[in-house]
Amino acid sequence: MSIMELNGGSVIAMVGKDCVAIAADMRLGNQALGISSKFERIFPVTDRIYLGLPGLATDVATLRERFRFRVNMYTIKEEREIQPETFAHLVSSTLYEHRFGPYFIEPVMAGISKTPSGAVKPFIAATDLIGCLNFAKDFVVAGTASTKLYGVAEGLWEPDLEPEDLFETISQTLLNATDRDAFSGWGCIVHIITKDKVVTRTLKGRMD
Amino acid sequence: MPDMVSIAQPIQQSFNPYTENGGTILAIAGADFSVIAGDTRQSEGYNIQTRYAPKVFRLTDKAVLAVNGFAADGNMFVKKVRQRLEWYRHAHAKDMPIRAIARLIQTMLYARRFFPYYVYNILGGIEEDGTGAVYSFDPVGSYEREACRAAGAAQSLVQPFLDNQIYFKNQTPAPGTSFPAHLPLQTVLSLVIDSFTSATERHIEVGDGLEIYVVVAKGSTSAQGLQNLRGVQELTATDDGERVFVVRRELKKD
Amino acid sequence: MFLTRSEYDRGVNTFSPEGRLFQVEYAIEAIKLGSTTVGIRTPEGVVLGVEKRVQSPLLESNSIEKIMEIDSHLGCAMSGLTADARTMIDHARVTSQNHAFTYDEPIKVESVTQAVCDLALRFGESVHDEEAMMSRPFGVALLIAGIDELGPQLYHTDPSGTFVRYDAKAIGSGSEAAQSELQDKWHKQMTLKEAQILTLRVLKQVMEEKLDQHNVQLAQVTQAKGFEILDETKLKEVIEGM
Repeated sequence: MSIMELNGGSVIAMVGKDCVAIAADMRLGNQALGISSKFERIFPVTDRIYLGLPGLATDVATLRERFRFRVNMYTIKEEREIQPETFAHLVSSTLYEHRFGPYFIEPVMAGISKTPSGAVKPFIAATDLIGCLNFAKDFVVAGTASTKLYGVAEGLWEPDLEPEDLFETISQTLLNATDRDAFSGWGCIVHIITKDKVVTRTLKGRMD
Repeated sequence: MPDMVSIAQPIQQSFNPYTENGGTILAIAGADFSVIAGDTRQSEGYNIQTRYAPKVFRLTDKAVLAVNGFAADGNMFVKKVRQRLEWYRHAHAKDMPIRAIARLIQTMLYARRFFPYYVYNILGGIEEDGTGAVYSFDPVGSYEREACRAAGAAQSLVQPFLDNQIYFKNQTPAPGTSFPAHLPLQTVLSLVIDSFTSATERHIEVGDGLEIYVVVAKGSTSAQGLQNLRGVQELTATDDGERVFVVRRELKKD
Repeated sequence: MFLTRSEYDRGVNTFSPEGRLFQVEYAIEAIKLGSTTVGIRTPEGVVLGVEKRVQSPLLESNSIEKIMEIDSHLGCAMSGLTADARTMIDHARVTSQNHAFTYDEPIKVESVTQAVCDLALRFGESVHDEEAMMSRPFGVALLIAGIDELGPQLYHTDPSGTFVRYDAKAIGSGSEAAQSELQDKWHKQMTLKEAQILTLRVLKQVMEEKLDQHNVQLAQVTQAKGFEILDETKLKEVIEGM
């Protein structure tokens, strides 16, 4: 039995034109047994950064609180909002602190940052369970349906998608990948982050 | 130091008759055609044994078999199926229909229930009624006729993509319209190529070359668009009406 | 030892100097002692008919079984040593079921006929460590009727293992008269109904007793219903329609 597959769940993030999207399923399971279909594994870090935590459910709760604490400390000390790149390194170093007894989580994050010139820069990243960063330019995936997500995303994703098209692409990718994964599914949630707003939608998917 | 004889332990020797040779195969049935494809990389672990080892084989003018898994078993299995096809032709004075080939493959696989051919088979071709068919098998002979199937190393990457693009899973047609039950050949070929470039991108065991077999029913217009396709070659052997083509493409070699 | 000419008919697998296998020829003769059996092929299907010799009023005529099912699309009528036919029909049934099991399709009429004929010459003295064989040739001829992708077909097999396809064929004691009658009356566009009546007429001509629903049996193979033996009620209807 793999700890990474004990509770199930998957997360994906994608880059669009001046926007990013992050989506996850809502299943919490105990191996093959489904426990909850309302389990949240994506959390807002700031207004423009969202963090997805697929993996062991107990570590989802722990890490959410840990990152809330550390981001609050950063905000107070620095007297400014944390930028996505900085947050990614915060995630990485937090996980690497537990190099030989890790949290069983592979975080995925998505956000947008404003450049000094005022332009908008989309950002996504993911790490493994000990904090090795992956800054991808297209999409990142993690969780029990990761291989399926890679396959579908590789086939559907294209550069410079507008927010609505990005929403369709990430939703179709997540839905179709989780339908082929026994440990993921049971409802989905999608966040589309643009420069002035975040749109959150829950998706109706198959419940088996 | 104790002498070697006194600490010598009995050693259990074992021989593992199977390996996994990577690669991926895929087949899609159209209304009056069938497309069967496979990459040509053959690997063992992280080592590439060859960049050109075909996994897709023309059996007759209406049946093509793709075999994935343990290459030695796969090649021997295809050889045995072809032998049975030849015997059948002599005994019954006709080519075996694809439905009969499918059942034959089941009995051949199940005959080895306790020392299986370590292969996943996908059989594509044209049914007696002229419709495109795909049959997929597990290593011990469970089989099913369906519209599309991926198998092998990148099955988990390709199958959900096909669910979405062939079966239109999780999509809703615009009001008053409906999704086509069968896609045109050009669309299917694009999806096959996309599937394999995607799988090549993300899976180390997939790549090098791509062979796409197209079986076209008697009198079908699907064959017309095929002739001037890049890298196409006709393999039709009889003038029974069905036609077989192969399209060869390069895939990334890294 | 000097073998006289007549001694060549003792060994079942010894050719005579003229190149004949007497035992096989005698077996073919045995069929001419059997009851008359008729088969007719039409575009709608094949009809089989047999005469049942009811030797005693105490005999239950419906216990005489001379037409048998091989598969749902194949039937068979016999003449000669009908007990021998059991072995052949058993083999035909197994072959047909095996074919359906392995190929998920009905076996062709010719293929099942070939399979039956493959048995016919497996007689003789068994050689060292070979499986025991039959001691003599079969003494029965079969009319095998069926429908496959090539349409309705009728095959005749004899003890030599030879098989031939016929449009209409009669075997057994009255076969000569019956065959010439069939040659006169058979035509390409015959309906199934006409074939049933012709079968009965031909049998009636060669039978000593008066033909009724107890001393003949009719069967047919059609596309819609496959093989069926006509029950007494249906048979009576056909007889009345003659």
